[in-house]
Parts: sequence; structure tokens; C-alpha cells
Amino acid sequence: MATLRGEQGAVQFDATGSSNATIVGTRSWTLTITKETLDTSKHGDTFRSFVGSMVSGSGTVELVYDPDATGQSGFLEDVVTTADTADATFELFTTGTSSGTDSVSFAGIITDMEITSTVGELVIVSASFVTSGTITSNLE
Amino acid sequence: MAAADLNEIRATIEARITTELNKAPKIPVMFHNMAYKPTANSSWVQCLTTFGASEYLSQGLTTNSRNRVVGVVVFNIFTAKGRGPGSNYKIGKRIRDLYNRVIVSGVFFDAPVGPEALATPAPEGYFQSQVRVTFETIEEL
Repeated sequence: MATLRGEQGAVQFDATGSSNATIVGTRSWTLTITKETLDTSKHGDTFRSFVGSMVSGSGTVELVYDPDATGQSGFLEDVVTTADTADATFELFTTGTSSGTDSVSFAGIITDMEITSTVGELVIVSASFVTSGTITSNLE
Repeated sequence: MAAADLNEIRATIEARITTELNKAPKIPVMFHNMAYKPTANSSWVQCLTTFGASEYLSQGLTTNSRNRVVGVVVFNIFTAKGRGPGSNYKIGKRIRDLYNRVIVSGVFFDAPVGPEALATPAPEGYFQSQVRVTFETIEEL
């Protein structure tokens, strides 16, 4: 396994979950996967024990804003989807864009979007999401 | 998309100053790698475009990706020695106004620096000031 650099990565997204496409202008992404634990310690135990429980995820995607860049508008406008059924699909790649390879995929909801415009700097969009349902990890 | 054509960017920058200084009062303008022998006590401008380090802007390697390409244009303004800075700074204003926060063909020009008077003109025998304008463009691959 080779060491990777961030520029090898990519984010693919589809607001309706039908066909993911690369969001052009993605600067970075993060993903945190959390597994809850249930305490299974019994009376008389001297060491606490646990079993894994529900798994969930959340993260961020940062874009160099360009309204004409493929995939950007659909991504950042998904935050205003009301009664969101979590039909949007994400695939976050550590390298390449080959679906199911070096990536994590899931359905999710964009929970917030921030667009920042500062004099002398590029306009940046930062969006946060939570996963919904199965998280498929292919970080082999 | 394609890699940035730096020569095209240079030509865009140079065409802008050439057009401006070709208006009255006309001022000769020289660029990198051009021979020029100024006449004594004349006014002239040297325009030097240089590109600096590029940096990653987005993910995606050689496709669907973007880089930031930066550069600087240095204008050396020469006017007659011993006659004060007025005529020199008038040229400086023309140049400054030409690039000040302008966006041309996808090139973003920043607020200019100068005109700054130089204590040691090169070549000697003139009053020299300098206007510098940094710029950047986004390369889309």
C-alpha cells in the first residue's frame, strides 16, 4: 500500500442517489465513523466489558466554489432539501474514482453548508453531513 | 479543460499595457528579452512578467482538478533625471489604474504596489520608479 496524498482523493455525490458523479473543485473531505458500545459487565465482574452497537458517521466536504463546476450546485443546494429522506449518496475516495475501490460509500444528509467570501481569497464552501444506513468501507 | 497557457497569460498582460501606452502621450514599453537603447531624457517603461509557484487547489490529480498559478508583473518606469517625480508618477498612475483589482481573461490582478521611487536606477541617468502587481489565475485540468 502506497502512502497517499490528499490531491489523489475525490468526492462523488448524487442528490437523488441514482448515479454518483465527481464534484469538481473539492479541496478536502473528512469522515468520522463512530461505533456505540453497550456495557455488558455483570455483577461480580471486576473488569468492565462491552459489545459494539450502532455505527454512524459524519464528516465534512470543502469546495473551492465555482457555480459552473460539475456537481457543485447539486451538492451545496441539497442542504435546503426539506423532509430529506436521506436519498443522497456519497462516495469518498482516498485515491482515484473507481467505485468500490479505496473509498467509503453511504447514503446521507447534508446538515449544514457554509459559504465564505473574503476579500483577496477564493470563495470556499464547507458542508457537513451525517450518514444514514449502511456505511460501506472499501479502504483496502 | 486544459493546463494553463502561461504564454497566453503573459501576452494578455503585455497587450494591455501596450494598448494603454500607445495612447497619447505615447510611451515606449519593453518586455523581457528585448533590446532597447533609450534616448537621453526620454520616458519609457519596462514590463517584466514572471510566474511563481503553483499550488494545489482541489483534489483529482490530472483530471477534474485545479491549481492556483501566481505571478507578478514588475513595471520599471523611467523618466528624465533632475526634473522631479511628476511625469514619472503620471505614467505610474496610468499603469496602476490599468491593473488595479481588474479581472481579465480569468487573471485576477491584486491591488498594485507603488509607484516606488528607486534610489539606484538601472540603467543610470534616469529617474526610476517601480509598480508591482501580483496576480493569480486558476488552472483547470
